[in-house]
Amino acid sequence: MSVKKKLWNIFGPIITAGLLVFIAFFAANQFVSVNKATEKRAAVSLSSNVYKGSVIKSAALKDGYVPFFGSSELSRMDPFHPASMAQKYHRNYRPFLLGNPGTQSLSHLMQMQGMKSQIKNKKVVFIISPQWFTKQGQVPQAYNFYNSPIGTIKWIKSATNSSMTRYTAKRILAMNVSGNSGAIHQSLENLADGKKVTAMQKMQLNMSESGLTAEDKLFSAFVSGKNEAKISRDQAKLPKQYDFNKLTNTANHLAAQQSNDNPFGISNSFFKKRLAKGHKLEKLEGSQTEINYLQSPEYADFELILAQFAKWHVDPIFVITPVNQKWVQYTGLSDEMYQKSDQKIKYQLSSQGFNHVVDLSADGGKKYFMEDTIHLGWNGWLAMNQKVAPFLEQKQAQPKYQIQSRFISNQWQQAE
Amino acid sequence: MNVNEIVLDILNGITETDFSKDMDEDIFTSGLVDSMATVELLLELQEKFGIDVPISEFNRDDWNTANKIIQRVESLQ
Amino acid sequence: MINIQPYESPEYFVLILGLLLPIIIGLFYGKRLVNYETLFSLVFLVLTFGGDKWQQGVALIGYVLFELLVIFSYSKYRSKQNQTSVFVVAVLLAIAPLVVVKLTPLFSTNSSIIGFLGISYLTFKTVQMVMEMRDGAIKEFEPVLFVRFLLFFPTISSGPIDRFRRFKKDYQTAPDREKYLCMIDKAVKYLFLGFLYKFILGYFFGKILLPIVSHAALAHKMAFFHTGLSWPLVEYMYTYSMYLFFDFAGYSLFAIAISYLMGIESPMNFNQPFKSHNVKDFWNRWHMSLSFWFRDYVFMRFTFFLMKHKLIKNKLRISQVAYLANFLIMGFWHGVTWYYVLYGAFHAVAIIINDYWLRFKKTHNVPHNRWTEGLAIFTTFNVVCFSFLIFSGFLNTLWFK
Repeated sequence: MSVKKKLWNIFGPIITAGLLVFIAFFAANQFVSVNKATEKRAAVSLSSNVYKGSVIKSAALKDGYVPFFGSSELSRMDPFHPASMAQKYHRNYRPFLLGNPGTQSLSHLMQMQGMKSQIKNKKVVFIISPQWFTKQGQVPQAYNFYNSPIGTIKWIKSATNSSMTRYTAKRILAMNVSGNSGAIHQSLENLADGKKVTAMQKMQLNMSESGLTAEDKLFSAFVSGKNEAKISRDQAKLPKQYDFNKLTNTANHLAAQQSNDNPFGISNSFFKKRLAKGHKLEKLEGSQTEINYLQSPEYADFELILAQFAKWHVDPIFVITPVNQKWVQYTGLSDEMYQKSDQKIKYQLSSQGFNHVVDLSADGGKKYFMEDTIHLGWNGWLAMNQKVAPFLEQKQAQPKYQIQSRFISNQWQQAE
Repeated sequence: MNVNEIVLDILNGITETDFSKDMDEDIFTSGLVDSMATVELLLELQEKFGIDVPISEFNRDDWNTANKIIQRVESLQ
Repeated sequence: MINIQPYESPEYFVLILGLLLPIIIGLFYGKRLVNYETLFSLVFLVLTFGGDKWQQGVALIGYVLFELLVIFSYSKYRSKQNQTSVFVVAVLLAIAPLVVVKLTPLFSTNSSIIGFLGISYLTFKTVQMVMEMRDGAIKEFEPVLFVRFLLFFPTISSGPIDRFRRFKKDYQTAPDREKYLCMIDKAVKYLFLGFLYKFILGYFFGKILLPIVSHAALAHKMAFFHTGLSWPLVEYMYTYSMYLFFDFAGYSLFAIAISYLMGIESPMNFNQPFKSHNVKDFWNRWHMSLSFWFRDYVFMRFTFFLMKHKLIKNKLRISQVAYLANFLIMGFWHGVTWYYVLYGAFHAVAIIINDYWLRFKKTHNVPHNRWTEGLAIFTTFNVVCFSFLIFSGFLNTLWFK
């Protein structure tokens, strides 16, 4: 065998494979576009790929989807879930659900960079759980799981030196993200030090961004339609015409059936799966007396979201969620503390000009309000919907924000 | 006794196997000689022939059959 | 200053392969570009131990100087005399930095300032030099070659552990074209196999599956009379074992591939370990460069010593004592924690039982067919996976945290 032939035997397959990958990515970049069916599936899929990516979100937002930021409550799908209600009553918006257990302000800040141009000057819904505001705040493992490299790169590229930028970079670095490339890591370090991103880093970031975008496009067609099917089954159970009293009746009726075998008035299946096994329940009794949501780095992370909204002229409505009252009594969680943290969040919002707030924090004792221990369901969803739908459907006055950097200070994070 | 016989005798003593039939059989891959048996072999060779083979010099590939061992012993004597 | 960790990111591979090109072309034409190679190695050492890891870089330089001094002094001494006590002192001095680094966590929450990535692997290389000088297998002190051997960067962080004399033979010549083409062929194959192992399978088991099963196992902390023994723990055991293998074997393949491209045939580290028929067989297939090092420099020397001085008469006892010593040292080498030491002890016991069984098989007529072979592989696999569960330190988290 000649040397040339041997070399071809060794490198031929690599060159061919490289070419094929290049063609696939090139083709994806040129020819793949997100269609309406994909958007519809993705909007309720709660898939982490959709969350981290950029292509589907931005396409959907152009088509009238409205981002619903949140966390674990988004997955509590019943007929009264915002996605189901919007579909049934042909609202002029459709929710695009962004959030999973463990996603909080910091991960939202990064993932929404992927829909920057589509979210500017638009309305969004932001569901805040006081449960985010723990002593630790955003859990690094969860952040890692929902880490969005595309979003992070876009954020880095648009960052300018300011106390907010330095603080954000430091927070992301503290999450110890394993999936971020060397260039991301190093440029974050530069930003955290108040230095510029170097030209070399910018080039690397651009390269990985185009790679990631092509990958995002290539895989955009693979989104699970499981939740979409569930929503369309669920919405069929709703009354034909929108009528709040009828809806409440349906909710009460369904909830009564689904929550009849436990003392907390919560979903039977949740109770059976998560609480009834072994000695779990006994151990949880009185277990939350020490919990405090008043001191948390999350207050500063949340401020980063607010500053971003202000910069992009986003008009958000905030929903603050309650805890099941019977559950509060059982675990010993302090009502007073919960209300204080609610006040602290609301103060942070109102003093900077964020005036659309749906405060459900004191409604955890209402009948069939909570699907489980800490998540909205049935009447809870209805209550939220009653405030959110008009906000989204009607024209709102241009908001005026006054962002105050004191809200990222350690003092504010620790203020009781 | 000549070198041949002594080596076969030593191997027989360590492995309880007669290698005279197949002097080119690999003593390591057949699993009959492990590290422990290797050390025994080295000590026996030292005792019977007075040759000193440090463990560093013991390269398995040069010592893996009865024939090769005999060759090595003869060259070291 | 930037810092890049070896074999972690696509950028690293692009950078290393790009900068390797002149060396590859040189070797293809039968020439070793020594000066360029020196520069190239320096660049990568700075990348690995520079930037925010500069303290490690300083520690590395100090370490190399210290070990050079130890080896230089011992070689001077050895050219005239050969006392056992001096040899022992030389070995102790050679391992002293490693011992300090390994013991530091017991007394302090910070890691030792003289530590750096790969210190244990460099220590294997230095101890080996001292031992071979004692045997007279290495006669001269060649500082430049020794530093090259020690700092050969493809294998610096986690092996495979090469042997000085083997390395020297490769290093002093360039392979002929036929041979070098073969090596490139293997290097390409190993690189891609490594990608599959480390970045696909290792990633799947380690980054995706492991957090899930670990979470589930921790949720069953109180299962089975508060011992935490649960099905998720069993799942954790297998998942971790797969992760450990694919991650480490993938890394090793990268290190070997890059060595081959540089015309150095670094030894293989894994040979289908999960196909082992027994524990002994396993140690001939798993992390081979380490287990062979232990075999040659601990086990064999220890048994030699015991037999020569007739300290223990019974051969079976000798091997058992040597196994215990061998694997306990290996356990301590991994780190001074109860689970690493137990991991060593567990393997010592397993291999001793294994030896009894092999003896029994020799004298009794035990049936042998593909079913018994399958049973042997299955049993070995599970014993090994269980040992990895100990090794993982997860039980420490499960029970004591």
